[in-house]
Amino acid sequence: MSEKTQINDIDRSLYDFRFDEDESDRFTSGITPEIISEISKEKNDPEWMSEFRQKCLRIYEKTPMVKWGASIEGLDVDNIVTYIRPKSRMNKDWDSVPDNIKETFERLGIPQAERESLAGVGAQYDSELVYHNVRSEVAKSGVVYTDIESAMHDPKYAEMIRTHFMKLVPPTDHKFAALHGAVWSGGSFVYVPKGVHLDIPLQSYFRLNAKGAGQFEHTLIILEEDSYLHFIEGCSAPKYYEAGLHAGCVELYVAKGAKLRYSTIENWSKNMYNLNTKRAIVEEGGKIEWVSGSFGSHVSYLYPMSILNGRGASAEFTGITFAGKGQNLDTGTKVVHNAPDTSSYINTKSISKSGGISTFRSSVVVNKNAEGSKSSVSCESLMLDDISRSDTIPAIDIKTDKCDVGHEAKIGRISDEALFYLTSRGLSEEDARAMIVRGFADNVSKELPLEYAVEMNNLIGLEMKGNVG
Amino acid sequence: MDKIRLNVLPSPTFGQLGVNFAERAVGELPSDKIWLEGGCTDITGDAVCSIAAQNGQTVNIIQFINTDKAAHIKTEINAEKYASVSLVQVFACQAPLISQLETKLDENASFDLSQLYIGGLDTVSEIRTTLGGRLSRFNADIAYTLGTGSKLDINLIADHYGKKSVSEINVGGVLNEGSDKVFKGTIDFKSGASGAKGHEKEDVLLAGDNIRNRIVPVILCAEEDVEGSHGATSGRIDDDQIFYMRSRGIPDEQILNILARAKLARVIGKIDDEQVKQRIFKALGWGDLDD
Repeated sequence: MSEKTQINDIDRSLYDFRFDEDESDRFTSGITPEIISEISKEKNDPEWMSEFRQKCLRIYEKTPMVKWGASIEGLDVDNIVTYIRPKSRMNKDWDSVPDNIKETFERLGIPQAERESLAGVGAQYDSELVYHNVRSEVAKSGVVYTDIESAMHDPKYAEMIRTHFMKLVPPTDHKFAALHGAVWSGGSFVYVPKGVHLDIPLQSYFRLNAKGAGQFEHTLIILEEDSYLHFIEGCSAPKYYEAGLHAGCVELYVAKGAKLRYSTIENWSKNMYNLNTKRAIVEEGGKIEWVSGSFGSHVSYLYPMSILNGRGASAEFTGITFAGKGQNLDTGTKVVHNAPDTSSYINTKSISKSGGISTFRSSVVVNKNAEGSKSSVSCESLMLDDISRSDTIPAIDIKTDKCDVGHEAKIGRISDEALFYLTSRGLSEEDARAMIVRGFADNVSKELPLEYAVEMNNLIGLEMKGNVG
Repeated sequence: MDKIRLNVLPSPTFGQLGVNFAERAVGELPSDKIWLEGGCTDITGDAVCSIAAQNGQTVNIIQFINTDKAAHIKTEINAEKYASVSLVQVFACQAPLISQLETKLDENASFDLSQLYIGGLDTVSEIRTTLGGRLSRFNADIAYTLGTGSKLDINLIADHYGKKSVSEINVGGVLNEGSDKVFKGTIDFKSGASGAKGHEKEDVLLAGDNIRNRIVPVILCAEEDVEGSHGATSGRIDDDQIFYMRSRGIPDEQILNILARAKLARVIGKIDDEQVKQRIFKALGWGDLDD
């Protein structure tokens, strides 16, 4: 009997290590006005932020759960611990970070990456940043890269935080945006002055070590006119049986002529609910490039959104999703064309195997004032067995006749013709299949920074055996 | 009359797009069914129509739907093994209309659907085809031309259960000033439908201000051995087309008219009843067929 070619689940051994919890502050689970007050007190929030958190809690209580997409019935927010402070304050020196936390990030390769190829690094462990540093020459150029809490208390940036924080993603956006506003902690603030081009990337890494906990980091990036930044975000957690929650929020402001590349490799463990919200607003001639790899979590809802708000603004989204056993990954993107001559290009790939469910969901809205705009959407799905599922749900909403919008999607399995061709060129069938799957993901991996592309290839572990599937 | 949800998207998406369902007031349908066996039938009010194609039978039906008051029409089709059903539906209503078309296809049965929507105040059209039998086949050719105040909401669902079942869906039309169209097309490959194929395409010509054009081409897939695709384009007249037509001496004011006609001609050309064609030409304001 012929045996099906097996493509392994992602090798998670790199991420599944964990240390005993020894947090100095672990709040009780659930979300109440008292817990929110405690978080405010712990973080020494300014008054406006304390009030904002309580307002978000009230919105959270009133807002219904989403009624579409993957089931989140297994998530009981009342059992989630929303704030855990690790036994360390923020450091600028890895030697000052407690050994177990330092070892965590060493194993994830963060200090090494910092030494070799990054302009700055932020590392969050549970609810707080434990390390943040930026190269001196970068700091001298006026670039600010720090944690949100520090910026909020710095007279130079306090007003900037206040005028931008959760303005792009208001707490009324959806239930988990409201939850985020109430309990957010940690994350990064980046400010790039006018005309400054950062040639090497900044990177933030978020690690959730505690079980039954949530991580609610907030990333706020402001690019002034004609500046450039590549920001990399990584996240992971060890596996527990208890559900964990990630409800972060990313707000990106891209000014006239500026360009921001935002790369993410999301590799949460399979007990995590990843309900993250990311949004960028792009002004005249600016550009946002999203590169997104979704590999982990039990359930994901993730649709980075680009609001093209100035003439000639553009957005690119390149994404890959790999859904394996026990995973339901609902990912995609949203674009709003809200100015003339804007353009967007969306290119995604998804792979489903071992009962995994992958859903591509998108929305492209071309408003009446977006005359001369163009959009192209392309998505491809690969089914690797007959117990998995792959859905494609794109939506286009056009409100002007003066635009051009195209969409194409394909779904299928590894083509027999491609296999035949490769085997006729002397490859074994196993090698041919592996090559096709790698090729399928290639246009995404080549958009990633080298070390992340290598990580992605490692993530898609291939094991070939037997004959034709 | 109670409001109910029609045109429900099989897998809902972002609510703010307003595409997950269409809510309309619906009255009771007539209890007597009209059995259609062939030829052209005029429908001018609420109706329930039924088409039964028995083993190996071929049935060709035309429905000319022209109502001057709000109406609800339901058409049920059952095609047994090796049966072949061809249905042409022409919608030329100037009143709100709900049309529901439900088709079941057995082994090797085929269903060829042609629909033409001419204007229409508020048309909600649901097309659900169950490709239950092995090698069953569903072809849909849908065209529309919408003018000021026209609203059209189409929800087409092709459920593939049968092995090697095939669906081919082609949709195209013209949105003139002030029109609003939603097309939701779902190809649903159910588990076990190995060897099934489904392809869907929509081309929309945007030909006026204040339009709204929503497209939701969905593929749901629970089977590995399938081939599915969808494509959609929406835009103005292509510059190359304008250049070509100008070079052939066609004046600018006729270019849009010719291209708009081409979008509809694809479906009209499939109708081999001259009288029906004549009525379509009249409804479209195209003059006499012989001209």
